[in-house]
Amino acid sequence: MWRLLLTRSVRPPGTPAPPTSLRDRLAMQLGIATVVCLTLFFFFAKDTQFLMPGPLSSAHGAIEDCGTCHASSGSGPLSWAHGLIAGDRRADSTACITCHKMPNTAFNAHGASTDVLKQSTERLMRIAAKTPAPLSARAQSAAFPTDGITERGVDCATCHQEHKGANFDLSKLSNEQCRSCHVVKFDSFDGDHPKFENYPFKRRTGVIYDHASHFGKHFPEVAKKDPAKRIPDTCSTCHNSREDKRVMAVAPFEQTCASCHLDQITGKERASGPKGIAFLSLPGLDMKTLEKKRAAIGEWPDSSEAELTPFMKIMIGRNDRGRALLKSVDRLNLQDLSRANDAQIKAVTNLVWEIKRIYYALITGKASDVLGDLGVGGGARPSASLVADLTASMPRDVVIGAQQQWLPDLGREMANRKDVKDTREVVQSGGWITTVAETRSVDDDEAPAAAETARSARSDRQTGESAASAAKHAVAEPEVAKAEPASAKPDNSKAADARPPPKAADQTDDLLSPTPEELRAMATPVKEASPPSPPLGNRTASAETPVKASASPPAETPASSDAAPARPQARPAPVISIESSVDPENWAEYGGWYRQDYAIFYRPAGHKDKFIYSWLFLTGPQAPKGSKSPAGTIFDALTHKDAQGSCTKCHSVDDIPRKGRVVNFSPASLENKKGRFTQFIHEPHFGILEKRGCASCHELAKDRPYLKSYEQGNPKSFASNFGVVNKDLCQTCHTSNMARQDCLTCHKYHVNDVITPIMSTKIPTE
Amino acid sequence: MRAAARRASAGSISGKALQGLSIAAISGGLFWLVWIYGSSLRDPRYLDGWLLAIGMGLQLYFHIAIKRGTLQPKSAQRWRKIHIFVGYLLVAAFISHSDFSLPDTGFEWALWAGFVLVTLSGILGTYLAWSLKARHGIDERVSFERIPDRCAELAQEVHDIVVETDPAPTLFALPAPPHDAWIMDLYATHLRDFLEGHSNFASHLIGSKRPLKRLTDEIDNLSPYVDEQSQEKLSAIRALVIEKDRLDFARVYLALSKGWLFVHVPVTYSLVVLVLLHILVMFGYSAGLW
Repeated sequence: MWRLLLTRSVRPPGTPAPPTSLRDRLAMQLGIATVVCLTLFFFFAKDTQFLMPGPLSSAHGAIEDCGTCHASSGSGPLSWAHGLIAGDRRADSTACITCHKMPNTAFNAHGASTDVLKQSTERLMRIAAKTPAPLSARAQSAAFPTDGITERGVDCATCHQEHKGANFDLSKLSNEQCRSCHVVKFDSFDGDHPKFENYPFKRRTGVIYDHASHFGKHFPEVAKKDPAKRIPDTCSTCHNSREDKRVMAVAPFEQTCASCHLDQITGKERASGPKGIAFLSLPGLDMKTLEKKRAAIGEWPDSSEAELTPFMKIMIGRNDRGRALLKSVDRLNLQDLSRANDAQIKAVTNLVWEIKRIYYALITGKASDVLGDLGVGGGARPSASLVADLTASMPRDVVIGAQQQWLPDLGREMANRKDVKDTREVVQSGGWITTVAETRSVDDDEAPAAAETARSARSDRQTGESAASAAKHAVAEPEVAKAEPASAKPDNSKAADARPPPKAADQTDDLLSPTPEELRAMATPVKEASPPSPPLGNRTASAETPVKASASPPAETPASSDAAPARPQARPAPVISIESSVDPENWAEYGGWYRQDYAIFYRPAGHKDKFIYSWLFLTGPQAPKGSKSPAGTIFDALTHKDAQGSCTKCHSVDDIPRKGRVVNFSPASLENKKGRFTQFIHEPHFGILEKRGCASCHELAKDRPYLKSYEQGNPKSFASNFGVVNKDLCQTCHTSNMARQDCLTCHKYHVNDVITPIMSTKIPTE
Repeated sequence: MRAAARRASAGSISGKALQGLSIAAISGGLFWLVWIYGSSLRDPRYLDGWLLAIGMGLQLYFHIAIKRGTLQPKSAQRWRKIHIFVGYLLVAAFISHSDFSLPDTGFEWALWAGFVLVTLSGILGTYLAWSLKARHGIDERVSFERIPDRCAELAQEVHDIVVETDPAPTLFALPAPPHDAWIMDLYATHLRDFLEGHSNFASHLIGSKRPLKRLTDEIDNLSPYVDEQSQEKLSAIRALVIEKDRLDFARVYLALSKGWLFVHVPVTYSLVVLVLLHILVMFGYSAGLW
């Protein structure tokens, strides 16, 4: 019968086609009806969801517009036809990352950079190249190689395949899928998974903490010395798994280390050297030589033995001229200039005026303006909070006090220099409120005029007639100075008299701005009748009172002619007359500013001292190891073995090629773990540890050169206090029919994480 | 002769088994291929979808060739086997493509229903062809259109035999068993409905002979209790009943043989439209990832 049916429907070639049968007519009508129905559907359906190949996953279930994700396909009933034309194949994936934020390397395998992937692949090839690949993996590689997928970038839909139902787990990835891209292919974790390589020590810990020496030496010694002191008795005294469960964090300094190490930071235990960090100073100079060579440096204390601080060097070296100046005096011994030639004497003279200019600017201007253009921190202007940290909110009175004691004639000297051009504006910066002064350096060809001005000023001071007017010119009336620089107005006393008094509105803070009395004191510091008194209760400073010597200004100055020649300070300014037996350094035992030995010191206030932190943070990137730059000098000064604050005694310093040095202040966090392919969550393992607890996995290795590994800057060169964790240890549980052993148990795909940030919502307005 | 038939039958069975094994093996291979395709970071729906589309195109080509009459009978025979073989493989591809689950959306349901209807009708047609061949078919002289007339003739013949009375009792006026009444009773109780209607559709569909056996058993059970003449009547009736059963069988199979194609072909047309749209939509939304 079948044969009959067939022969009935098959006709020899060339014979005319039989008339259309009922069945064929029905088929044609049904086909047309299908087309008509679909057309009606397209035109009357409210959206194109009827075309969906399946429901969206729960997370995306609320999305109704297909065009939200199918960027190239649009939202209209027939707009999907646009997708038929080849377009941007990355468009849909790009749509994904409008909500799920990822770094620029989002479409690289693992979202990691090419370099990281290359290194990782090379490492895998090194340790596991001979791992036998299972048959299915070989077949997969041969039939469907994945090279092209990874080369052209991994689209989101490669792994996250949607339209598989509300309960579908979009992040699910099988071992075979993971394996398909990897050059080393193996069957399972308990099979041929490569052995761990120095796990978990990808890099050394940020905090240098020698567990072995603390357990074996320090704790017993402390317990013996002071039984009342709390000695940790379990690991959890200091360590705990935080809420994120991945980071085995260390308890805060105050709970763990402070009882023994706080005094090291504040300097109480320091046996030698200053306990504070010298921030500003008046460096000691060979005054005799300078006087002999008629260097026009104005007044300068001849008993100072202070060094030029690195902070001052960075202030001086903020521009090309300053850097050239530093370079020219770099090899000079400032306290022995007997062999210096005229050019070097001139450089020293310029240095002196530059230092004076800094003090002057710090008094007349704001710290933010003095420090704002230092060129540290990549040239970006530091924020207000950073400036506050960089100066540790130094009160202006500290500088004024120093100036009154060390350079009492500064106001007059600077007022008489024609290179001081004030441009002022009222700005508020942290707790330090004043006016801004912008100084312009003087050129040598302006020297005669400056010398004249200086002579005029000296004359004024000697006669005591126009001191107040000079001070007004220098400090109290900047607006006028801005309009009429000193160099343009040698007869400034008269001009000052003609000017209106400063308006109250021009003062940003009446309490912190210098009072008229202060200004007078600054402007007339060396009145003949004023008896010297020990400054600021500092007997050390008092003992180093500048030599009371005054030289008549020469008619000509060989090195520089913009001021009076070397003139040792006549007498100290009367600042305070109350004697105190407390040393300034001890007075500031809890941290802060103090003045001693022609230097202004900052003593660390405790752990997390912002002054040291901010300077290290700012200078580190510009201070590669061995750098002789001012930034490098500061960094070295703050990180050397005996540095105040002892930050780097515990916080390790990483020397990163082309990125300078970084002090590891940040505690362990998930942020630090970004970029890692392996993740371990401690918490689920706590319940299965037996008596040995943490030591089940972390065996103390006493003989390893732990501290020595921190003597160099490579964070990856590391000898831990603890032994490595071996694969065999994990495999005791993570094996077939026991604990999970799929790839995603320990590895994550998006090594740099994916976040879905809060959407930008405008605040509703009326 | 029987031995040759047995050998032929045995050869056919082993051929069928081989074909079945091949289908199972290729289907298994297809599932494995789709699995490793999916494991190589690709969407497996593209692989089995394209295989399905290619297979359906092949099936469609067979239909078009038949309609255009471009196939020689022998070639058509070979193509028919391929058509059936590929059809079974497409079932595997379809199951894989639908991810071993039922559809979720209206359009998917339409595709699913179309494919299932085409497949089931095709399987029915294959079964019919196989079952006809297994039972050595139906008398080729019988055409579907003549079956009702022939059935009516058979019914009349049986009726005539039943109503014909035996003249012998009138010669000897002795009381005798009422054989004619017994046969009449048999006819009224069991045979009349069978002969006048189209009976036992389901039994014929599955090739069951049980209804026929029940009738013939009734006839055979009565036969020992009647005289020789009545036995001849019963024998004639039995032959006619068997003939009627054969006609019923032929009617069922010939109707189905015509009818399944009324589902298979028109639904295929509709399915082709839906599949074309499905491919276009899929391509339109795939952003070139396929």
